[in-house]
Amino acid sequence: MSVRRLSSAPALLALAGGFLAAGLLLAFWYAPVDASAMGFSQKIFYYHAPIAETALVAFGVAFVAAVAYLRAPAARWDRLGVVSVRLGLLFSLLVMLTGMIWGKAAWGVWWAWEPRLTTFLVVCLLYAGYFVLRSLVDEEQRRATFAAVFAIVAFVDVPITFFATRFLPEGLHPAVITTGGTGMEGSMFLSFMVSMAGMTLLLAGLIRHETRLEELRERVADLKARLER
Amino acid sequence: MGAAAQFAALLHKDLLRELRTRETLVSMLLFVLLALVIFHYAFDVGAGSLARLTGGMLWVTFVFAVLLGLNRTFAQEKDEHCLDGLLLCPVDRVVIFAAKTAANLVFVLLIQAAAVPVFSVFFVQRDYLGQLPAFLAVLLLADLGICALGTLLATISMSTRARDLLLPVLFLPLVVPLVIAASSATTMALAEGAGFGRLAGRLLFLAGFDLVFLVAAWGTYDYAIGE
Repeated sequence: MSVRRLSSAPALLALAGGFLAAGLLLAFWYAPVDASAMGFSQKIFYYHAPIAETALVAFGVAFVAAVAYLRAPAARWDRLGVVSVRLGLLFSLLVMLTGMIWGKAAWGVWWAWEPRLTTFLVVCLLYAGYFVLRSLVDEEQRRATFAAVFAIVAFVDVPITFFATRFLPEGLHPAVITTGGTGMEGSMFLSFMVSMAGMTLLLAGLIRHETRLEELRERVADLKARLER
Repeated sequence: MGAAAQFAALLHKDLLRELRTRETLVSMLLFVLLALVIFHYAFDVGAGSLARLTGGMLWVTFVFAVLLGLNRTFAQEKDEHCLDGLLLCPVDRVVIFAAKTAANLVFVLLIQAAAVPVFSVFFVQRDYLGQLPAFLAVLLLADLGICALGTLLATISMSTRARDLLLPVLFLPLVVPLVIAASSATTMALAEGAGFGRLAGRLLFLAGFDLVFLVAAWGTYDYAIGE
């Protein structure tokens, strides 16, 4: 199969499905039950952490698209930007949802003001503003330019927010991957990486699918406008 | 005209306009004083626990007060079409950004010069002369970050349909890290008597925040002001 066909949306999504299913099987039947107090509830980690990292990747893609747009304005960069932020926001909501479920199981509370979860909460509010901004500018080019400027500033703010939440009192969140190594057993690490690959492929497939959809939507709008003339 | 002269002229114009009308400063100051009174009654927790809230109260008040001023940053220019003239001048956009940021900074500092003594009498009720330099450093660094980021976003939101509605939606989430650092540093300085040594991490963070967003604004301002 050619690279082109392999990187089409259906192929990417099918691959993602395969990896995610394999990740699920590995997480439940291959990786051992966590030895810490979290025990079985730790299984959600194989979804929660990859979703979190994928959300950040999506915002990173939006950042790159924004820089590319400002350097050379083209509709496709703007489309890539919108789609990435939309998916990033969706994944961020899933991070909070899975984080809350895990929090309830492991700590007994739905919400702890824990640095990483708090960061994602702020990120959700931040990127929700991106869509408010877009909806308030009518002129296409100006909308794309403003959205790009905001996407750049917002992405810069994400690590800063994470860093600032460290000034808050200590949280409960386990630090799994630190500079000192991964702190995971081999089998756990493999299951995690398979889920991680699946989630990243899912994002790539969805981005391809959604950008194509945006493109078609614009063409329909364009044709409609021409018909009315 | 060099960039420095342009900067001085633009800043002079903004300050002069504000001194003649005083519309922004008066409403900002009244807002701050009202907020402090409201906080006193809203958090009826006794002096001991109140000390732990000082930083938070102060920075929530200042951030919202700054929003009032930021919304006025380009109001006149936009309404009277001065902006078109300004953009036609051979002025680097970054100079406009620097002048507007500086004007906002001056307004905030004037408000704080009046509000901080009142705040100290109302809520701190202890002598913090020893921590004053550290507290002033927190104020200056946080103000610079708030004004730089705020001016960039005010520039964007002035060209949208719902100007003053949009600004808080964009500005507040971005400024969360700064509020976290500044309010915890303020509480540490005023309630716990922490000096430069214990605040070093937070001060460094605030300085880093300022630097990052000054660079980001410098890089994107041409696009933000548009036209």
